[in-house]
Amino acid sequence: MSCTCNDNNESIFMPQVAEILDAQMITSTEKHFKLKLQNGERFDYEPGQIVEAGIFGYGEVPLGLASSPTNGDSFELVVRVMGKVTKAMASLEKGDTMTIRGPLGNGFPVDEFKGQDVLIVAGGIGLCPVRSMIEYILHHRDDFGKFTLFFGAKTPSDLLFEEDLEAWRCDSCMQYMDTVDTPDSAWKGNVGVITTLFEHTKEITAETRVIICGPPIMYKFVISELDKMGVSRANIYVDLERRMKCGVGKCGHCQINDKYVCMDGPVFRYSDIETLEEAI
Amino acid sequence: MKSYFLSDQNLTAFVEGLMSKYPVIAPVAKRSRFVFDTLVDVSELRLDYDTTILPPKKVFFPAKQDLIHFDKDGFTSAIDPKEQVLLGAHPHDIKGIAMSDIFYSDRQYDNNYMANRKATIIIGCSVQNHYKHAFFGTMNANRPLTGHDLFMTKIEGGYAVDALSEKGEALIALGTFTDAGDAQVAAATEVNKKAEENCPEKLNGTAEEIREKVRSSFDSPVWEECAEKCFSCGSCNIVCCTCYCFDVQDEWNVDGASGTRFRLWDACLTTEFSEVTSPGGSENFREERAERYRHRFMRKAAYLNEQLGGPACTGCGRCSGACTADIANPATVINKILEQ
Ligand code: SF4
Ligand code: SF4
Ligand code: FES
Repeated sequence: MSCTCNDNNESIFMPQVAEILDAQMITSTEKHFKLKLQNGERFDYEPGQIVEAGIFGYGEVPLGLASSPTNGDSFELVVRVMGKVTKAMASLEKGDTMTIRGPLGNGFPVDEFKGQDVLIVAGGIGLCPVRSMIEYILHHRDDFGKFTLFFGAKTPSDLLFEEDLEAWRCDSCMQYMDTVDTPDSAWKGNVGVITTLFEHTKEITAETRVIICGPPIMYKFVISELDKMGVSRANIYVDLERRMKCGVGKCGHCQINDKYVCMDGPVFRYSDIETLEEAI
Repeated sequence: MKSYFLSDQNLTAFVEGLMSKYPVIAPVAKRSRFVFDTLVDVSELRLDYDTTILPPKKVFFPAKQDLIHFDKDGFTSAIDPKEQVLLGAHPHDIKGIAMSDIFYSDRQYDNNYMANRKATIIIGCSVQNHYKHAFFGTMNANRPLTGHDLFMTKIEGGYAVDALSEKGEALIALGTFTDAGDAQVAAATEVNKKAEENCPEKLNGTAEEIREKVRSSFDSPVWEECAEKCFSCGSCNIVCCTCYCFDVQDEWNVDGASGTRFRLWDACLTTEFSEVTSPGGSENFREERAERYRHRFMRKAAYLNEQLGGPACTGCGRCSGACTADIANPATVINKILEQ
């Protein structure tokens, strides 16, 4: 596929073409893609930014970038196979192409995390967008203080990125902890909601910088734990999901008050949006 | 700015002059109401219309607008502006267009709208008959009228015509105009002032009062009360000149190998507008109809004020007329909130 852009009237809807370098189902419903731009250019972005990924004839879906921009020319996305577009994506394999628009929105303000202790709290598929930051921290490990990662999933079979989890578990550079709501017979780890993990660590202080990404219900419970620990709401970043159609602040679908998640987010400093109704 | 006079007898020849150079989109009768449509014959023109079913935004942003054409070899942008004339836009509709211009050019510049907008010459006209729900005399009345090229005010014996841009000035050559006299200019000012004063509905507060009161009423029971009869049909959004939300969809041509990505007007009052699919169901960020109903009023009265420099409503009254449940009227709802 090639792009024949109208130079005088450039369109914010025209995507770039990306080639699939690798495609794997990583759970029964999630497909992990490794991509690179077909024009050979490097796809540059900040951890936490999003793209609209698409297939012509089916449509586009918003996805958080699931790999660190420090990974060279390639980038990764994880698609949950649910609707028309993602079902079509499920059939794509190595060598096929999909379209990419972006990077869109604001990612994590990496500089504000540098030199600080960091806690990332990820629930379910919320691990995918924050993986861009996890990898970034691990690639620049000396730039950050203590690094703790909480991951919660419904069941052990919903744990994403098994290889990563294995590596993180053994990594002395970070404290990785996970929990499931419903264990199976083989599960030996924590059982319970993600906030139960706070009891098991001493690494979190009032100065820790925190990132939260997960199902909508999760945020307020995690924030209430952080409040108890004295973490400033200005040091908490939430990565929000909303319905998105355009990704460029026009279609209105992602609007929360006067903010557009696609442009002003998906990453927000919690203190900037805590008074916005309908945000958390 | 220069002011001219066009006599009633010379109107037809002028419009025919326009039609010989451009497609002319203007108010025409459709059953008991009016619509903006391409003039086929000048006799269809109804500058005495009260309002149109749909606002003139459709001229730049059609209800279904192609964005990208694709086939197996690639894809191309569908942006393809055509020069055209929008004739007969009322002042409040011109303000609505100016607001859409801000929405579509601010932050990310959307040429799918803006290219059509720039290719369109706008000729405004004074309100000769009021739509029964109009309240433009008290909504954004002080907002400057900008973005149009000519403005025609119906006065005794013809029209006082203001040329407001070079493009507008160039159109004067297409008709038989004389210079407007001072009395004609004064008469036109009076006609437009009267049109505002004579609006059948009135809003009671200033833009700032409205913003503050509506914003702070977020948790008020008023939304629940008003939305009780709402069908979530979205008609109030669809007919609104400042609603600009859309959905994006793809469709295949019959050949099964090529197709189009297009956008469609969408409505935040509908159930699915803020819904995302999630494992085992869906998550709706505005699940209750009262939340969606409130979102529309918050957007009109508060959320977009900073971007627009005032409320995102022109007082055209189309939403009031379009709502079967008779609950969409911003004048009624905002006045109710102001009284609390
Ligand atoms: S307010 Fe009226 S027009 Fe709007 S969605 Fe509800 S019933 Fe439909
Ligand atoms: S909210 Fe109603 S009165 Fe205001 S601009 Fe929209 S349709 Fe017109
Ligand atoms: S996705 Fe369209 S405005 Fe944000």
